[in-house]
Amino acid sequence: MESSYIIGSIAVAAILTYVTRIIPFLLFRTREPSPLIKYIELNMPLMIMVILVFYALKDVKWERYPYGLAEIIGVCVAVLLHVKFKNALLSIFAATLVYMILIQKIL
Amino acid sequence: MNFLSIFKLTIPVMMGYIPLGMAFGLLLSKLLIPWYYAFFMSAFIFAGSGQFLVLTLFASQATILEIGIATFLLNLRHTFYGLSMISTFKNFSWKKHYLIFGLTDETFALLKTTEVPEANRERAYLLITFLNQCYWIVGSVVGAMLGNILPFNYEGIEFSLTALFVVLSIELYKKNRLHKPFFVALLIGLFGMILFPPQKMLILSLCAAAFVLIVFKRSMENGK
Repeated sequence: MESSYIIGSIAVAAILTYVTRIIPFLLFRTREPSPLIKYIELNMPLMIMVILVFYALKDVKWERYPYGLAEIIGVCVAVLLHVKFKNALLSIFAATLVYMILIQKIL
Repeated sequence: MNFLSIFKLTIPVMMGYIPLGMAFGLLLSKLLIPWYYAFFMSAFIFAGSGQFLVLTLFASQATILEIGIATFLLNLRHTFYGLSMISTFKNFSWKKHYLIFGLTDETFALLKTTEVPEANRERAYLLITFLNQCYWIVGSVVGAMLGNILPFNYEGIEFSLTALFVVLSIELYKKNRLHKPFFVALLIGLFGMILFPPQKMLILSLCAAAFVLIVFKRSMENGK
């Protein structure tokens, strides 16, 4: 692979990624965001976060053994621990550990 | 907030970014691309799935134009993140450009859920973003240089990012005044995961969520 091709691609990808991130700031630089934008700003993060959970699970093969069991158990561990103890690090560590043990040793 | 408490916040991202970055670096080295390009990509693009996509396109000899279009479409979801950050970043100095540059899925998640007193908010946000990028760079460079010699079996450690999103969803659910968007997002996420093609799942689901949120604004705000 030629280095000019690699460097050119990296530069293009870098600039366009930044563009996707800066668009809203450019749009609302001068004018005050409307009530609708404020409503979106307030409620969209919660929806994004929930959808990111499913996005993180998008490559799970639900129809084949072990039917995404490790992922389901891992998510349940995170939810239960977090509702009970409200300690983010604990919930994340424990859920990850359970998941790793499940996929490496059990399932 | 001192350094230690900010560092603690970013630990879940570290657990996800280092192995994921290593996977990226490993793939890069398999394409026989020199390791320092892993550094350049992670330093200047800083988008997990975006960088994987670029490698896939390298492998299929895509043109630079195709690479540009594909990364733009894949990362278009970040526009939604920025939309939720407008008032937060508003009074920050020029350094906010680094925050905007570094607005990945995980950084966005941390910034949106971290409670910082206004006086040192900018500093705290910069540090979170910078630490996250360091993890990503370290992971990808290490992966590119010695991905094949693994110190231990870390298979499955990337689940920490899933768990992070789960925990932050619960946090935001508790903080949010309206709760209907949460249940709507659960449905959209579930259907999106099953019905949409994996590479387009995120952007399609986010568009659906924004659509429902706007069109059904009234009923979202009714009740609770």
